[in-house]
Amino acid sequence: MAVVEAPSPEAAPKPPAPDSHIRPPWTSQRVLLTALVAVGAIATVWGWNRIGLSLATFTEGWDDMGRLLDRMLPPRYTTVGRWVGLAVETFFMALMGTTIATALSFPLAFLAARNTTVNPFAYRASRAVITMARAIPDLIFAIIFVSAVGIGPLAGVLALGLHSIGMIAKLFADAIEEINEVPRDAVLSTGATRIQSLSTAVLPQVMPSFTSVALYRLDINVRVSVVLGIVGAGGIGFELQAALRSLVYDRGLAIVTVIMVMVVLVEWLSAVMRRSLLGADSAAVSFGQPRRRGALASLRRHRIAEPELAAAVPLPTGGPDAVTEDDGPAPEFDHRALTPPWTADRVRRFGYGALVLVGIAASFVSVDVSPLELLTSLPDAWRASSALFPPDFSTAFDGIVEGMVETVAIGIVATCFGTILSIPVGLLAARNVSPNRMTYLVARGFLVFVRSVPELILAVLFVAALGLGPVPGVIALTIGAVGFMAKLVADAIEQVDAGPREAVLSTGATRLQETFTSVIPQAMPSLISSTLYLLDINIRTSTILGIVGGGGIGFLLQNSTRVRAFETTGAIILSIFLVVLVIEQLSGWVRKQLI
Amino acid sequence: MTTIPHQYPAPKTPRTPPVVQVRDLTKTFANGSVTALDQVDFEVPRGQLLVLIGLSGSGKSTLLRHLNGLHHPTSGDVEVLGTDVVTAQRRELRALRRRVGFVFQQFGLVGRLSCLENVLSGSLGRLGAPRYGVLTYGKALRREALGHLERVGLDDRAFQRADTLSGGQQQRVAIARTLMQSPELLLADEPVASLDPESSAQVMEVLARICVEDRLTVICSLHQVELALGWAHRIIGLRDGAMVLDQDAHDLDNAEVMRVYQRVQPGSGAAPVPAAQTAPVRVPAMGA
Repeated sequence: MAVVEAPSPEAAPKPPAPDSHIRPPWTSQRVLLTALVAVGAIATVWGWNRIGLSLATFTEGWDDMGRLLDRMLPPRYTTVGRWVGLAVETFFMALMGTTIATALSFPLAFLAARNTTVNPFAYRASRAVITMARAIPDLIFAIIFVSAVGIGPLAGVLALGLHSIGMIAKLFADAIEEINEVPRDAVLSTGATRIQSLSTAVLPQVMPSFTSVALYRLDINVRVSVVLGIVGAGGIGFELQAALRSLVYDRGLAIVTVIMVMVVLVEWLSAVMRRSLLGADSAAVSFGQPRRRGALASLRRHRIAEPELAAAVPLPTGGPDAVTEDDGPAPEFDHRALTPPWTADRVRRFGYGALVLVGIAASFVSVDVSPLELLTSLPDAWRASSALFPPDFSTAFDGIVEGMVETVAIGIVATCFGTILSIPVGLLAARNVSPNRMTYLVARGFLVFVRSVPELILAVLFVAALGLGPVPGVIALTIGAVGFMAKLVADAIEQVDAGPREAVLSTGATRLQETFTSVIPQAMPSLISSTLYLLDINIRTSTILGIVGGGGIGFLLQNSTRVRAFETTGAIILSIFLVVLVIEQLSGWVRKQLI
Repeated sequence: MTTIPHQYPAPKTPRTPPVVQVRDLTKTFANGSVTALDQVDFEVPRGQLLVLIGLSGSGKSTLLRHLNGLHHPTSGDVEVLGTDVVTAQRRELRALRRRVGFVFQQFGLVGRLSCLENVLSGSLGRLGAPRYGVLTYGKALRREALGHLERVGLDDRAFQRADTLSGGQQQRVAIARTLMQSPELLLADEPVASLDPESSAQVMEVLARICVEDRLTVICSLHQVELALGWAHRIIGLRDGAMVLDQDAHDLDNAEVMRVYQRVQPGSGAAPVPAAQTAPVRVPAMGA
């Protein structure tokens, strides 16, 4: 302070501003944000200790990983044909599950949307069903169904179908609630029934988001259905599990590469479809016809100018725009004019529609599940679910508490490290910030690579290298989190406004300074929101890591079904449900406060 | 080509019962604290183009919504096309709405659908079952819809998406949709409020032409006095829910109508007689 004390001759020295004026005020947002960071830090330290992580774990782990890689490389492609067949079966499982979920979500979403529901009870009931379907991890559904209908793809399809409702129906309902209501009133006032107004005025408005949601869920389900194989739901995951169990690691790696290729292929296909369908939707389709300005327009101008002539209703008496008053038979129209023209857009929509239908049909044929079987399996599924009741906490109370605490610890630590690591990776993978094109491509490629391996598969590999316990679980989850989060970070950064960046650079700031001053603050809201979302996902995933030996409650869950102590299973599922729900509500609340 | 009436085709003395009969209609909202309509009383003969004018909030939209049963009156009677709207059951109301076209200020088109499909949705009332996609409507219906589009001058846009059209064109598509209902009464709630003057004139022209050619009764609320004077057979002015003007458009000039828009009425002598409050309904001068 003393250095600045040289007063200018003309102005009397102003007293330095009080400290309260140069510190940002403690707004409720700032308090919350600070508290959040503090809680996050404390929770991470607690989780770190709870799991028993130390730097030594990583240095030792590194050697173990090296040894595992040694045994894996080179990958040995022994029965590629068989694997491709299994990969296709896995994809078909995902497609079937998504189809079933979409079909079930349709009516559910209309009941769960405030503006189309039939009564408050139906609204609440359907919202509850959706929340429940989302809060129970798909793998847990699969475990229940495997015990109900036996090992095989049917259990997987049912699990996917039920769990996916949680996301699909929720997003469908949200889309319905966002529609423009005027067309609906207009259709209703023509004397149409409620159902008609839904199909004519509501459905067309929500169709693009429905399509996009279903395709997005298909992406996710392909990954999930690989994982479902691990608990006996068939497909390529089962094969991978078998290879790793019998310690044939080079075959395991070969199978992992097949899985990666499949995941990337499906993601590419669905991205192409989505872009092409939605792109056509946002671009106004114009046939380039000149605006018609016939006799009507010129007559009207005349009319306005001379209101006293208004009594005469002028009609055009000729010319191309003349209205023909034909009392005879209806004029002949060109037949083609009554059917929509085959524009490129329509061809594309039909093509994709046919492709999807063929795919669904093929999936029912090739996966050994008949639609009838889906129905007849319902009583079995019901019996298996009712075996979970009443939940029995007493037999394994300590174990459940212990497992849940460890699960939450794994989720928190993985979220923290995932977020920290994903910021640099995300910056490199953002086209507008990445230092050069090569770095950008490498970073994006790395993300695609990481995202194509489901976390549970990573966990299987790390468990093989490091042994049972929460450490491989945390590592797998962190890597998965980076794949998920860094992509969101990169996408958010690519949306950043370029104006402030140029302004900051033109003050002579370095690139790194510019990134911190103009890029990160702009992307901050979406970073915070993604982090909270990531926490949701990680807690959910960490409940099932234990199924492959990666720590947490999943181990107990798997065990209880193995010994057919279903009431204990029920207790575990109930506690997972509650913890997931609490975390979700909490992060939803924080998100709402901050954004 | 039929001959075009160059003179005002005023409705003949109604032998048939009036299309719309409103008796002492009062509507209050919020438990009686807000009076939206105050003892409104009039009838409309067939083939008349009646324009409702008044400030925003004067009750024009509320009145129109009573005519197709979207609102329920606090007291009074509303009879439309022989149906008692007040006591009608759901099914009766739907049957009535099928015969009453309604044009909205915001058009109410489904933007993603083609113009033709939007027009076709006007036939849902007679179809009964839900439809999705142009091809789910029969060929005869499609031909009919195209005819209506031609009538509003937009048949060349049949397969263009509705949201690619200008506001005035969208409103004409919306009118074509009501034509698909073969309506006996057309209600239009500020159909040109969000349009530029030229598009407004086109839309009003279409409404007036349909009114004359089909002997269709049209009740239309407007803001613009000039448009009202230019197109209406008869003008009803509303202020704070009460009728303050009901006259043949012929007998009115701009200044008289503008008085409806004055918030405070000048001395009672200068004010137009609030027709509905004292006298029985003024039937517009016939055959002027």
